[in-house]
Amino acid sequence: MEHSISIVVLIITFSFLLASLVLAFIRLLRGPSINDRIAAMDVIAVVIMAFVLVYSVLINEAIYLDLPVIISLISFIGTVAVSTYLKHRNG
Amino acid sequence: MDKIIISAFLLAGSFFILIATIGLVRLKDLYSRLHAATKAPSFGIFLILIGVSVYFNTPMVYIKSLFVVVFIYLTAPLSAHAIIKSFQEKDKDENEKES
Repeated sequence: MEHSISIVVLIITFSFLLASLVLAFIRLLRGPSINDRIAAMDVIAVVIMAFVLVYSVLINEAIYLDLPVIISLISFIGTVAVSTYLKHRNG
Repeated sequence: MDKIIISAFLLAGSFFILIATIGLVRLKDLYSRLHAATKAPSFGIFLILIGVSVYFNTPMVYIKSLFVVVFIYLTAPLSAHAIIKSFQEKDKDENEKES
């Protein structure tokens, strides 16, 4: 399969995204409060969206652009639901 | 020429996301961590979406990318606001118990 983008650029992009996923998981594991963990989950959703986008460039399929639309909405709903639950449990 | 532009956009976007997660790990406070975790990933995903839309170059891809950008830039400040609101309520309760 021939690429119009050089494979080196895609490998560097994937390695950046993998490093950021590892760092976000570090914050998810040792966050002092639960709010830090929610923020880390938000960032992990963004990193996974970037993974899907770069992967769609790698295999040259435009149909994968449906996934980031869904992931962004679901991540927003999850974040707001958990935060509202915490707020009402404390107050 | 197209190739260089798309590669530059993809690399810049992933670099911004990497910077954001470095800030998420290294900063000290929840407020500064959320400052790093809200703005830079939005900009990074915006750059990656520009690169992907220039790569495919069809109208449907442009419309979907516009949807993603609008959703991200509408929902990132709202979710950060919700997180900080719940954190502040907890802070206030603990301070009242102490005093």
